[in-house]
Amino acid sequence: MPSRRRTLLKVIILGDSGVGKTSLMNQYVNKKFSNQYKATIGADFLTKEVQFEDRLFTLQIWDTAGQERFQSLGVAFYRGADCCVLVYDVNVMKSFDNLNNWREEFLIQASPSDPENFPFVVIGNKIDVDGGSSRVVSEKKARAWCASKGNIPYFETSAKEGINVEEAFQLIAKNALKSGEEEEMYLPDTIDVANGSQQRSTGCEC
Amino acid sequence: MGSDSESPTSSDDSTSQNPNPNPHPNSTSIDQSLDAIEDQLTSIALAQPNDLASDDPASSSEEEEVFKDAPNGSVLEEENQKERNEGEIVEEEVGVVAAEEEVREEGRLGWRRVNSEVEVDRLSSPSSSGYAGERGSSGGASTASGIEEIGEDRGFDGNGRGEFFDGASDSQAPPWVPGKRHVDEDDASVSWRKRKKHFFILSHSGKPIYSRYGDEHKLAGFSATLQAIISFVENGGDRVKLVRAGKHQVVFLVKGPIYLVCISCTEEPYESLRGQLELIYGQMILILTKSVNRCFEKNPKFDMTPLLGGTDVVFSSLVHSFSWNPATFLHAYTCLPLAYATRQAAGAILHDVADSGVLFAILMCKHKVVSLVGAQKASLHPDDMLLLSNFVTSSESFRTSESFSPICLPRYNPMAFLYAYVHYLDVDTYLMLLTTSSDAFYHLKDCRIRIEMVLLKSNVLSEVQRSMLDGGMRVEDLPVDPSPRSEFSSPHLGQSRIATDSPDRFREAFAGIGGPAGLWHFIYRSIFLDQYVSSEFASPINSSQQQKRLYRAYQKLYASMHDKVIGPHKTQFRRDENYVLLCWVTPDFELYAAFDPLADKALAISTCNRVCQWVKDVENEIFLLGASPFSW
Ligand SMILES: Nc1nc2c(ncn2[C@@H]2O[C@H](COP(=O)(O)OP(=O)(O)OP(=O)(O)O)[C@@H](O)[C@H]2O)c(=O)[nH]1
Ligand SMILES: [Mg+2]
Repeated sequence: MPSRRRTLLKVIILGDSGVGKTSLMNQYVNKKFSNQYKATIGADFLTKEVQFEDRLFTLQIWDTAGQERFQSLGVAFYRGADCCVLVYDVNVMKSFDNLNNWREEFLIQASPSDPENFPFVVIGNKIDVDGGSSRVVSEKKARAWCASKGNIPYFETSAKEGINVEEAFQLIAKNALKSGEEEEMYLPDTIDVANGSQQRSTGCEC
Repeated sequence: MGSDSESPTSSDDSTSQNPNPNPHPNSTSIDQSLDAIEDQLTSIALAQPNDLASDDPASSSEEEEVFKDAPNGSVLEEENQKERNEGEIVEEEVGVVAAEEEVREEGRLGWRRVNSEVEVDRLSSPSSSGYAGERGSSGGASTASGIEEIGEDRGFDGNGRGEFFDGASDSQAPPWVPGKRHVDEDDASVSWRKRKKHFFILSHSGKPIYSRYGDEHKLAGFSATLQAIISFVENGGDRVKLVRAGKHQVVFLVKGPIYLVCISCTEEPYESLRGQLELIYGQMILILTKSVNRCFEKNPKFDMTPLLGGTDVVFSSLVHSFSWNPATFLHAYTCLPLAYATRQAAGAILHDVADSGVLFAILMCKHKVVSLVGAQKASLHPDDMLLLSNFVTSSESFRTSESFSPICLPRYNPMAFLYAYVHYLDVDTYLMLLTTSSDAFYHLKDCRIRIEMVLLKSNVLSEVQRSMLDGGMRVEDLPVDPSPRSEFSSPHLGQSRIATDSPDRFREAFAGIGGPAGLWHFIYRSIFLDQYVSSEFASPINSSQQQKRLYRAYQKLYASMHDKVIGPHKTQFRRDENYVLLCWVTPDFELYAAFDPLADKALAISTCNRVCQWVKDVENEIFLLGASPFSW
């Protein structure tokens, strides 16, 4: 079979319970929204194929549970993520305050090789609620926080109305792709029978 | 916020639009959720319908017995669905939750997924790779039941290459076709869920590397689920080895950053399935070496799939061999029967080249060894031979021209590449020269030319072809009285078969079928030589399906004989509706024999003695003697 090179990107969605992580994912993948709240248990996994600059790749989306009792699952879930999406509810101050915890928790658990430049995306969700009148976190405040954390890209969305969701995920995919680009070199050994020792085939470490 | 702090299995939080972002669940809710998960264990892969339509009649009464106790594995789909809907978990979106329990490191855990729009969503959202609507990839069994199970290789069995037929299906099945099949499937496909035996390789970050069926990328959600389960248990300082869910076993093998999983309802023992995962891992190491681990150490995101590009055939051929090649569970290799002098001649010329800087020189015909030689102290593990010959015979490109390829022998040195010069001398016979030097191609080519000349001159190649046509030991040729060994002084096994109805054929009770005393088949494994010999299949074990079933029965015997907890046994005699199986283990050899289910026990035992004597009488022809014993 022709090995058309495809890239798989692992995207983790984090944030307090009820901020709309699952709803965002469903809106993005299935173009659906439900008013019913169904707490995610553990994590939900969805895949979506995305085209980007003539390349086809697969987003493996890990929608995690925001409820506290699942937070011990962290390490298991975060390892090897290509991008991390932090979601809060613009109508709930606590969910915004917790962004910092989510971010730090992720960096500790996933321990990415270059934490400074690890691609995060922040989403302020539920901007539709009460026509915006119950909003407690201003866009300015949110952007300021994002700027202070190394210019994290910021989106304001409504999973319910489908506002900005596609755009947010497009950037998520793009940034995930960028971060995956420095590929690891794969350097097997060869055997040197004469010396009875092992050598790197490249010899670059001599 | 309703029931967040109550049991997660409670259904009435559906009205709650604004859940408390900081719930403080009490401990019972977790317990209850684990209970609920246990209840759902059956949904782990695919709940089984009654086995009615199964195409594998291997479900003997004996085996059915075993599975009677299994939890509602055969509950029909509608019932399952109803239970769930009444039950409470309807509100939960998905779940991956793991729980450890049980002694011996065996965790049991489950995931479940409840949804109400299963079939409806199938057509929507082509971009969502099959996970349409509200379904997660971690799907349970819901859509799976009530439809007949699909064979492992249905429609592709039989065999183009080995001499046995593999068969999930009947003997008219078209020949086994190498390569990946059913690429269009994913875990939302009913057909995918019905496959009897799945194999997966994934990375410790949950990225898919290989799946026997279906497209790896479409299965990304499923492999994420598997990773979550494995890592969750690992986090608790434990390891998950096996999950039973009704008729299904989910077997896990963790090799550093590489996770391997088998989901099977073939009723093979856990040890056998784990052994198969070990071989799959070994095959991957053979292609890449263990150096890939370093890539994961530096970068957990590392995506291995590009490195394995084009090797689907190698893995699918290995998986196929689990059902026709006993080397996969015996950890021994088999030789092509040849006159002693012929094999000696082949060995002599291989020896010559081994002295000139070739690490291993191996001459094989299909999966059978003609001769093999290792330089000084180097010795080759039977599993490495199996993986190497699978790699060579499954890759079409080796057939068309001489090749030079890096390969790694996992048991010899898993970290490093060797270089293999491979050349087919005729359609089935190939020479492999292994070296440590990456620039030895021309030297090895010269070696091959010399070897080929000698083999032609000494008629080794024509003898090889003749032996292929003649076949090996046949149960109906089992001599009556083992003492007069003169009968087997003939240069080739096949010649003793000429007078089939001569008086020394012993066929009193079961004339016409199989050998004496109802003997249908045997495998003899020499422990010292690391080699086995298997009799040719004959009536009534004719179809590929029957052969596969017999191998599975042997494999079960093998596992039970080597069970460290119960064993080691010396002998085992089993009778079920399919066979009498007799196994005899000594420090020197192991014998596995299958008889007619009505065979007389005492007669069967004495027949086994005669088989052993027979094997010893012809060992010069069926085994490679004097090869250096495998020291590790
Ligand atoms: N009005 C409005 N409601 C939303 C929006 N997004 C989500 N919701 C609602 O908010 C509730 C919670 O949404 P979920 O997507 O389940 O929240 P979650 O973050 O996945 O929660 P956990 O799984 O518990 O971590 C649901 O009732 C949704 O219908 C939105 O953009 N606007
Ligand atoms: Mg959720």
